[in-house]
Amino acid sequence: MNKYFITAFLALSSLVFTSCGNDDDNTLNQQPVSVETQTFSNLFANQTGGQGEAPGGTYTKFSFSQNAVVTGDDWDVAFRGTTILVNGGAPLATDEPARTGLGAVAILSGVLFNEVGAIPAASMFVQDSASAYAIPTGSGNGWYSYNSETHIITAMAGKVFVVKTHDGKYAKMEILSYYKDAPANPTQETETRYYKFNFAYQPDGTTF
Amino acid sequence: MLLNKFLAIGCTLLCFSAFAQEQKQDSIKPEPLQEVFITATRTNRNLQSLPLPGAVIDSATIMRAGVNRLSEILAEQTGLVTVPDFGGGEGLQMQGLDSAYTLILIDGVPLVGRSAGTFDLSRITVGNIERIEIVKGASSSLYGSEALAGVINIITKKPKKEGINGSVSYRYGAFDTHDLNATVNFKKNKFYGTVFANHFATNGYDLDKRDDLKTVEAYNNTTIQPKVYYDFTNNLKLITSVRLYNQKQDYNSSIDNIFYTGGGEIDEINAQLRLDQKWSSRFRAEYELYATNYQTSQFLEDPAGNTYEEGSTFYDQWLLRPELRGMLNLGKGLLTTGVGMNYETLNRSYFENLAIFNSQYVYTQYDYNPTDKLNILAGARFDNHNQYSSQLSPKLAVRYDLTDSFSLKTSMGYGYKAPDFRQLYFDFNNAAVGYTVLGYNVAESILSQMEANGQIQREPGIDFVKPLKAESSINYNFGANYKKGKFSVDANLFYNTITNLIDTRVVARKLNAEGTQNNSIFSYRNISKVQTYGLESNATYKFTDNFSATAGYQYLIAKNPTTIDEIKNGGAAGIIRDPNTNQTIRIKTSDYFGLPNRSRHTANLKIYYTVPEWKTDITLRVIYRSKYGLNDKNGNGIIDNYDDFVEGYTLTNLSVGQPVLKKFYIQAGANNLFDFTNAAQVSNIPGRQWFAKLQYNF
Repeated sequence: MNKYFITAFLALSSLVFTSCGNDDDNTLNQQPVSVETQTFSNLFANQTGGQGEAPGGTYTKFSFSQNAVVTGDDWDVAFRGTTILVNGGAPLATDEPARTGLGAVAILSGVLFNEVGAIPAASMFVQDSASAYAIPTGSGNGWYSYNSETHIITAMAGKVFVVKTHDGKYAKMEILSYYKDAPANPTQETETRYYKFNFAYQPDGTTF
Repeated sequence: MLLNKFLAIGCTLLCFSAFAQEQKQDSIKPEPLQEVFITATRTNRNLQSLPLPGAVIDSATIMRAGVNRLSEILAEQTGLVTVPDFGGGEGLQMQGLDSAYTLILIDGVPLVGRSAGTFDLSRITVGNIERIEIVKGASSSLYGSEALAGVINIITKKPKKEGINGSVSYRYGAFDTHDLNATVNFKKNKFYGTVFANHFATNGYDLDKRDDLKTVEAYNNTTIQPKVYYDFTNNLKLITSVRLYNQKQDYNSSIDNIFYTGGGEIDEINAQLRLDQKWSSRFRAEYELYATNYQTSQFLEDPAGNTYEEGSTFYDQWLLRPELRGMLNLGKGLLTTGVGMNYETLNRSYFENLAIFNSQYVYTQYDYNPTDKLNILAGARFDNHNQYSSQLSPKLAVRYDLTDSFSLKTSMGYGYKAPDFRQLYFDFNNAAVGYTVLGYNVAESILSQMEANGQIQREPGIDFVKPLKAESSINYNFGANYKKGKFSVDANLFYNTITNLIDTRVVARKLNAEGTQNNSIFSYRNISKVQTYGLESNATYKFTDNFSATAGYQYLIAKNPTTIDEIKNGGAAGIIRDPNTNQTIRIKTSDYFGLPNRSRHTANLKIYYTVPEWKTDITLRVIYRSKYGLNDKNGNGIIDNYDDFVEGYTLTNLSVGQPVLKKFYIQAGANNLFDFTNAAQVSNIPGRQWFAKLQYNF
C-alpha cells in the first residue's frame, strides 16, 4: 500500500514538475505583446478663460492602457486647452491634478510615428515641475504651432511624444488635430479643444 | 455727388482758363529707352548703355495707364509684385526679396516711415512723376542700407518751357475714388519752378461682408510739392524742393466683441536743398541737404467715447542728411565721390526712450570706358554706424557691346539692411494673445529685471552681448540686350544670397501665464538665409509709330537653404501630415516650394495703340501671377507642394484716352476689367475699378 502510494506520488509529482518546467519554458519563450496603433478621437479638453484671463477648468485625464478618459489617479496624460500634463513630477499651478505616478515624457522631432521603435534613453525623459511643463506651452514650443494670421492651430508633423505612464510603462503618442472631428481644413469657426491622437501602448517595456 | 464732381471740374477750368496758351497736343507714346537714367550711377547715363539691370517708366506710360498711385504703376512691371501689408498698405517684392529690402527715393533722397519695416507705396501719387527709374540688384555701394534688392527713384517733373503753363485733372472711379491734380510751371530765364498739388480720396473697400470692418477703410490724402530752381550762372544752380503729405484714414477694430472706432493720421514733410556747381569742364560738385519727418498717430475709442489705450499709438521719425558729391571727368572715365551723414531719431509707442541713429558714410565710383565697346563700373561705400558694425559695400559691373545690336552685361554687388529701430528698441506686449516682443538692445535689461521678479524663465544659452548684425546679401546679375530696328529684347539672370536675416526667436517664457495662446517673450537674432534666383526677360516690338507691344516674364525661385538641408538630413521640415488620412510622410527636397507669397512665374503683356485718324490712345495691360503658398497647412512649418496654394490669377487693365480741342484729354477705363477677386486670400485686389478722367493742359 505505502509502496504504491509513494510511486503514485512520485509519478504525479514528476508529472507536475515536468509540466511546471514546461510551463516555465513556455513563459520564457512567449512572444512580447504586439503593439498596435490606436486612435482616440474627440477628447474634449475643456478650458474656461484664457486669452488674457486666467485659465480654469478641470483637466481631462487619459489612460493609455485603458484607452479611455479616466477620473481617478490612474491617468497618464491630462489635457486642458492646449496644455498637456504628464502624471509625474510636481504641479506648476494650483488647479492641476496631483501627480500620483512615475510619468514623464521624451519629445522626438523629425520622426515618423511608425519609425519610433526603441524607447529613448532615460536622460531624455522630463517630468512636469513647479517651473515648467514637460511638454512646453506656446506656439512652436510643444506640440502645435499657431498661425497668427489664419488663427489656426496646427499639430506639428514629425513630433512624437514617448510617454512614461503613471506605472512605468511606455506609450508613444502623436497629436493629429485640435479640432472637433478633425476636419482636413479647419477654419476659425471650427470648434476647438477636441484632441485626436494616435498612440501605441507597450506594457512590457520593450520596443514599440 | 454728381453735382459736386461737375462743380469741381467747372471751378478748376474757370480758374485756369486765364492762362490759355497755344500748345499742340502730342499723342502720348512711351519712349523709355531714350531717357536719361541717373539712379544707377548718380550721373547722367542712358538706360540702353547701363551695365546693370534697370527699367524706366516714363510719364507717357504712366499717363496712358490712367492710375493714381505708385503702387498701381509698379504692379504692372516685370519682376515686381505688390503685396499687402498691415492696414491696407502695399509693399513691393523685387527679385523675390521682401518689401523691406528695396530703397525708395524721391528725386534721389530717401523716404522714411517704415513702422513695420515695409514701405507703403500708395503714399506716392503719380500726378507729378516725370519718370520712375528702377535699378535691380544690390546697390548699397551708392545708397547704403535698404538698397539690398534694388532702388526705385521717383523723379518729379520740372519745367521745360518758358512762361507759365501747367495742367489740371480730375479723375473719378469705383469705390467713390476721387483724384484731383493741379500743376503750375513757371519759367522766366534763370528762375523757374513748379507747384504741384494732389488730393486723393476713396471710400476703401470690403471683401468680407460678414463683419463690420472693411478690408481697407476710407481714407483721403493731400500732397503739395513746390520746387524752385534758380540758376545763378550756367555753372551754379540752386534747387529747393519741399513735399508735404497728409493722410487721414478711418480706423476700426473689433476686440473681444466690442466695436472700436477711430482714425489714423500721417503727416510727412520732405525738404531738399541742393546746389550744383560746375567748377571746370572736368569737375563739378553737388552740395545737398535733406531733412524729412514722418509722423503717424492713431486712436481708438469704445462706443461710449472712451479712449482705448492699447489701440492708440504714435510714431515720429526724423532724418537729417547732408551729402556732398564730386564728379571728376578723367577722359575715358568719370570718378564720382560722395560723403555724407545720417542723423535719425525715432520716438514711438512701445519705445522706452527716444532712439537715435548716427552714421557717416563715404563712397566712390569709377565709371570707365576703356574702349567704345566696353564699360566698367566699379564702386564701394563705407558706412560707419553708432549702433551696429560698419559695412563695406562694393560693386562691380561690366558691359560689353559685341555688335551695334547685341551687348552683354554682368554685375556683382553687396547689399545690406541695417537692423531697424524696432528690432533694437521695441518693448511691445500683446495682452490678448499673451506674447511680448523686445528689441535686441533693450532685451537684456528688461529680461534681467523680470527674472529677478520671478516672472519669467529664460531660455538657456541666449545672451545679447554681441551687437545685432545687419542683414547682408551678395547679388549677381548676368544679362544680354538685343536691339535691331523695331524689335528689342533683354534677358537677365539673377542670383541673390542673403545671410543674417533678422528673425524673431523665443528668449524666455512667462511663468503663471498658462492658457494663453502664446506665453513667449521674443527678441531678434540673425538667423535666416534666403536664396533667390531666376530669369527676367522683356521684349518690345514696335509694329508702327502708333502700335507697339511689350511682353515681360520672370521666373523666380526663392528658398531658404537651411530648410533644404533640414529636409535632406531628416529634420522636422521634411515631415508632413496628410490632413485627410492623418498619415505622416517624409517629403523630398524637391517638394519644398519656397518662401511664402512668391510666385514662380509672373508675366505681363502691354499693348499701346493710337488710332491714327482720331489720335485715340488705347492701352491694354494683362498681368499674370502664378500660384503661391501663403500658409503651411500640413504641420512642417514650410510651404511644400502638398500645401494649399493661392491660385494663380490674371488682371486685365484697359484704358482709352482721347485728346480733345487741343488742350483737353479725356480718359476712361477699367483696372481689373474682368473683376477678379479672391476675398479670402488676396486682400489687395478689390475687384473691377472703372474710372473716368479729364485733364486740361494750359
